[in-house]
Amino acid sequence: MMPAEAIEELLGAYALDAVDANEKRAVEEYLANNPRARAEVEQHREVATMLAYSGTTAPDGLWDRIASALDEPAPMPGPELARILPPPDRVDVAMRSSRRRWLRPAAGVLAAAAVITIAVLSATLVERARELDRFRQSVAAPTLSQLYGSALRLNTTKLVALRSGDGAMVATAAFEPDGTGYLSANRLPQLDEAKTYQLWGAVDAGEGAGAKVISLGVLGRHPDIVPFVVGQGKLVALVITEERNGGVPVSTQPAALKGDVI
Amino acid sequence: MNPDLTEASDAALVVAIARYRQEALAEAYRRHAGAVFGLARRLLRSQSTAEEIVQEVFLRLWHQPDRFDASRGSLRSYLLAHTHGRSVDVMRSDSARRAREERDVRAAAESGYDLEHEVWDMATAAQVRQAMNVLPQGERAAIQLAYFDGLTYREVAVELGEPEGTVKSRIRSGLKRLRVTLAAVGVVAGAER
Repeated sequence: MMPAEAIEELLGAYALDAVDANEKRAVEEYLANNPRARAEVEQHREVATMLAYSGTTAPDGLWDRIASALDEPAPMPGPELARILPPPDRVDVAMRSSRRRWLRPAAGVLAAAAVITIAVLSATLVERARELDRFRQSVAAPTLSQLYGSALRLNTTKLVALRSGDGAMVATAAFEPDGTGYLSANRLPQLDEAKTYQLWGAVDAGEGAGAKVISLGVLGRHPDIVPFVVGQGKLVALVITEERNGGVPVSTQPAALKGDVI
Repeated sequence: MNPDLTEASDAALVVAIARYRQEALAEAYRRHAGAVFGLARRLLRSQSTAEEIVQEVFLRLWHQPDRFDASRGSLRSYLLAHTHGRSVDVMRSDSARRAREERDVRAAAESGYDLEHEVWDMATAAQVRQAMNVLPQGERAAIQLAYFDGLTYREVAVELGEPEGTVKSRIRSGLKRLRVTLAAVGVVAGAER
């Protein structure tokens, strides 16, 4: 039996699956009765998780294979895209329903059919109105999305992860060497009407002038992707604050989120 | 995708998976499949074997969601720990050694992986690289060989020409140091959800 000290020394290697089978068993027996050691292993694994961050994408078709191995078909994963065509399922369901009702005895058939027809038409009209909204959004929104996406694909683009102190709020930014940047902040919670998010940049002006904080834009109460421009100087950090509606020239608020430029 | 699920925490997703909601598994896949695949491919250096690992990891989540304990860490940490363990098992088998020699590193195809997660991962990866770079060389090398090459600490010791005791201590102290460094810059594992 391994002494406790020897097992303690193995906790890091164990968390990285870098022990042999006998040592693994010994560590697991030790962990079963030692919550502090379990917590240490979990911490090591969290760090290892971060080592694995790479921004890799899974191949096309892989989800289909997983879904087909489940009990029933599952929906495709992925961002919700604006649909141009009305989704057929709602109308089809209504139409299938109407067909079933035609099979009932004659009394009330015509009235039922009229109701069903109106229901189908209403559903279709409502759906088309929604599709039109989605289409308008799909025409307006991707412009920034595409610019943001293009910026991400440039090797020269720098990426910034902004976090709140407790890690509960996150946003990401990408900016190019020419000072053009895009902030993706669609995961920030919506503020009440009296407030807005505001983006700030800490800029190193060089030549011993030190860093200064400049406003890079008032983001609104529920921002999505927002462009910004950094003028002269080297951007070293981004900060988001919550301000009164309209924004402020100089903030006295604590940083809601911040991220260093690496 | 159900908007309720896209906004749901990972823990809530796993609860939904336990209730056989397949769209919850799809959302978990959307969030984490890229990282799972990236780790498996980096370890195995084989696209096809990495895909098999991804399938296995997500099917395990589907069939055994109760294995995930949100109080013990993030879903991503859980999935990646399983991914690493299974990949190392495969690497240590003879057939996988042959696969590794093939060095089959094909370009990844597009998928429904969430762009936001991809950006987040890239930004976090940059911070982690920076934190790794400030580790003492001995700790950094030991962690890299153990984690990304799938070596046991004994194999790492042989590789580095260091005593076994030194290597296992360096792995442990290096992981602790990394955690402190990453915490200082605000990177907390699983904090994105």
